[in-house]
Amino acid sequence: MSEPHEIVFDNVSKFYGDVLGVNRVSLSIPPGITSLVGPNGSGKTTLMNLMTGLLRPTRGSIRVLGVAPDNPEELFRQLGYCTQFDSFPKGFTGYQFVYSFLRLYGSTHAEADQFAWRAIERVNLVEAAHRKIAGYSKGMRQRIKLAQATCHGPAVLVLDEPLNGLDPLVRAEVIALLRSLAEEGMHIIISSHILHEVDMISDQVILLSAGYVVAEGKIRGVRDEIQEQPMQILVRSNAPSALAAKVFEQDSVVEAKIHNDGRGLLIKTKDPDKFYRLLNRIALNGIAVESVIPADDDVNSLYEYLIGSEDKPR
Amino acid sequence: MKTLWLTQVAAIVRLEIGKTFFSRRGLWVYLLACMPMVIFGGHSIVWLKRGLPCDFGHDTNVFASIFQVLDMRLTLFFGCLGIFMNLFRGEMLDRSLHFYFLSPVRREVLLVGKYLAGLLAAVTIFTTSTVVQWGLMYAHFPKSVMESYLRDGNGWRHLTAYAGVTVLGCIGYGSVFLLAGALMKNPIVPAAAVLVWESINSFAPAVLQKFSVIYYLKSLCPIEAPPDVGPVFSMLLVNADPVAPAVAVPGMLLFTMLVLVVAAMRVRKMEIHYGTD
Amino acid sequence: MAVYKRSYKGYEGPLTSRRKRFLILSRYAARGIFASRIVTGLFILSFFYPLAMIIGLYLNHNLSVLSFMKLHQDRLFDVNGAFFMVFMTVQSAGAFLLTAFFGPNLIAPDLANNALPLYFCRPLSRTEYVAGKASVILLLLSIITWVPGLLVFGVEASLSGGAWAWEHRGFAAGILLGSLLWISFLALLALALSAWVRWKLVAGALLLGVNFVTSGFAAALNATMDVTWGSYLDPAKLLTAIYGEFFGMDLSLGVNTWGALASYGVICAFCTYLLSRKVRAFEVVR
Repeated sequence: MSEPHEIVFDNVSKFYGDVLGVNRVSLSIPPGITSLVGPNGSGKTTLMNLMTGLLRPTRGSIRVLGVAPDNPEELFRQLGYCTQFDSFPKGFTGYQFVYSFLRLYGSTHAEADQFAWRAIERVNLVEAAHRKIAGYSKGMRQRIKLAQATCHGPAVLVLDEPLNGLDPLVRAEVIALLRSLAEEGMHIIISSHILHEVDMISDQVILLSAGYVVAEGKIRGVRDEIQEQPMQILVRSNAPSALAAKVFEQDSVVEAKIHNDGRGLLIKTKDPDKFYRLLNRIALNGIAVESVIPADDDVNSLYEYLIGSEDKPR
Repeated sequence: MKTLWLTQVAAIVRLEIGKTFFSRRGLWVYLLACMPMVIFGGHSIVWLKRGLPCDFGHDTNVFASIFQVLDMRLTLFFGCLGIFMNLFRGEMLDRSLHFYFLSPVRREVLLVGKYLAGLLAAVTIFTTSTVVQWGLMYAHFPKSVMESYLRDGNGWRHLTAYAGVTVLGCIGYGSVFLLAGALMKNPIVPAAAVLVWESINSFAPAVLQKFSVIYYLKSLCPIEAPPDVGPVFSMLLVNADPVAPAVAVPGMLLFTMLVLVVAAMRVRKMEIHYGTD
Repeated sequence: MAVYKRSYKGYEGPLTSRRKRFLILSRYAARGIFASRIVTGLFILSFFYPLAMIIGLYLNHNLSVLSFMKLHQDRLFDVNGAFFMVFMTVQSAGAFLLTAFFGPNLIAPDLANNALPLYFCRPLSRTEYVAGKASVILLLLSIITWVPGLLVFGVEASLSGGAWAWEHRGFAAGILLGSLLWISFLALLALALSAWVRWKLVAGALLLGVNFVTSGFAAALNATMDVTWGSYLDPAKLLTAIYGEFFGMDLSLGVNTWGALASYGVICAFCTYLLSRKVRAFEVVR
């Protein structure tokens, strides 16, 4: 029933007593980078904890590449989880944190040592590896967690707010690392509040609100399905007024606004296909069109349309 | 792959051993183990200073009484409470249990590893304490008396019996408090309940008596405590229906197994709810 | 050019006075304590015995009710030193149990979660912090120890008359002073143990253990060394000796009252030292 190459949630609900965690979630997550987006308390971490067996669903079932989360021996051979818990086993150094995990994984001392250093190197933490984690900065803690989650070469990587506390340089490096891992066919599930970064790195998004999945899929696909919100398109042209006069000849255009720099027109249309056809005709009739860019098929807009601007992340 | 769980148990024991042996928070367990040693050491010093003739039989009875009340019922009890209750609940409070829960280790294997680490610490600390106590108790006797006690009398038998009872006490109480730590948020409730149950156990029906650690331990003590130890002590020391060692040891181990199985079932279903602890 | 909004204004309203500021901690701590059903249940349970005693005293002075209940005696019990001794021992035991349940929750979580810097970055000193937390214990334990004790004394005084009250004024002093000594000791011990081990669960068990283990240790010490000074290490016995002195009981415990007070003093001083070492806003990671 479940696809062994996907992460499948089948009608999953989780209640904390009377409080709803997530409700009736049915998802099938393919390889690539999938971002969980939603306001605080929307159920992102609950979903991740359910996927990794830290929580048990009240109803429904979950399969991660065909493995049930209540089988940790199998699950964590192919999954690494970088949690948002900022606490570590007492007294551990960064190296011990990664090395110990690998020993639990079953690696020999030599293997564990080699893999631990490789993972620590990847997150640029070699110099601090033998210092106690309790003395690490927020960014260093994030990086050592990332090293631990990736050290055994998992097929699925679950990252809860992995970019929090990282400086811009490391952030860019981590994003590049995630992209390269995704290109190798890894499943990467990320929850993040930084929407423009989600936009940059995600292959698909899952939007959550109040414990429910509001939308899922590729960003463009999700945007196309939001019929009630007119699509925004930025048309670059040196004759925006003339262009505006022409586009209103058709009733599919809801609004047209000259761009602040005076060199373009921001169009809102309910029928983008019809509008593109119209634009072709306009261009053929002599009004120069430099470029046509969709202005709201990003996570930021999806968030605003589907969840609202209240509690909106950065 | 066949021995993976053994490798994992060894890895868990290695990780936990530092916490159980060398944690500054666990200092009080050492203090607890040292308390009876202070008493017996003081006893020997006092008698040596007084230079009065000593009564070997009297001292043996005093040791038996104090071992059964102070060691078995208090230091071992609270020491095991401190060590084993922390194995899961302490990590919940430290918010670090997810480290284990997110590794490719079966929860049952984790439980065994943690239990063995706790047991190693408890057995080392409390058995050493018992042996040292025993030595200190008789330290004021002339060497020849001790040699004949060990060689011709029951010295070694008594010593090994006391050490054995301590080991079994760690095994039994360890499992009980491991389960309590996995089940309850507040250790006072189970601690008080077990303490009361262990104290009134002698008056419980024979069937119920078997569901206690002290029942087996009392039966294994080499010397019955004398009756002239006061009403409260007598109540604690009475053993109306002792069992033979051949029954007591397997009984204790079976009891431990049962408790550990229940604990494993609980740990298997455990969720990470740090916020609520 | 940088533009700064100049609309922000700091708070200029009245502040809680410096002397009362620590009570803010008490208020919040007290609210948290009663979130536990066990603590609430125990707290309520602590009033049953005083209530029963007050009813008993009323019956004691109403022969008509006694005869109506077909109790052919002129009183149910004697109200003397032994009566108050038992009463205060029961209430003090209740106070101990209650402290074991809620005492460690006051400081241990703050230390375990490194929350002390949050307190001390406000105008709040370490002493005020400890006072704020200790005052919750003192307040709650007062409600179940000397307050009902004095109430029982007052009821008896109102029924027996002023002469009885004057004659037995030492009992009232004993109830008040003995309770204050015990609850101060419990407050300091609970806070010190939880500051030391930082885990509320271990601190609770430790508090329970301290009572039982020290009793056993003291008894064993007396038995093995053939001495009586071991009793000075047993807080429960010390309290019994102090109450015994106040209520004119000859208990022959082998404990001198001044020695008992000195013992409490030493333990309390050690607890204060522990608190001063552990309640700090910083932690050195080695």
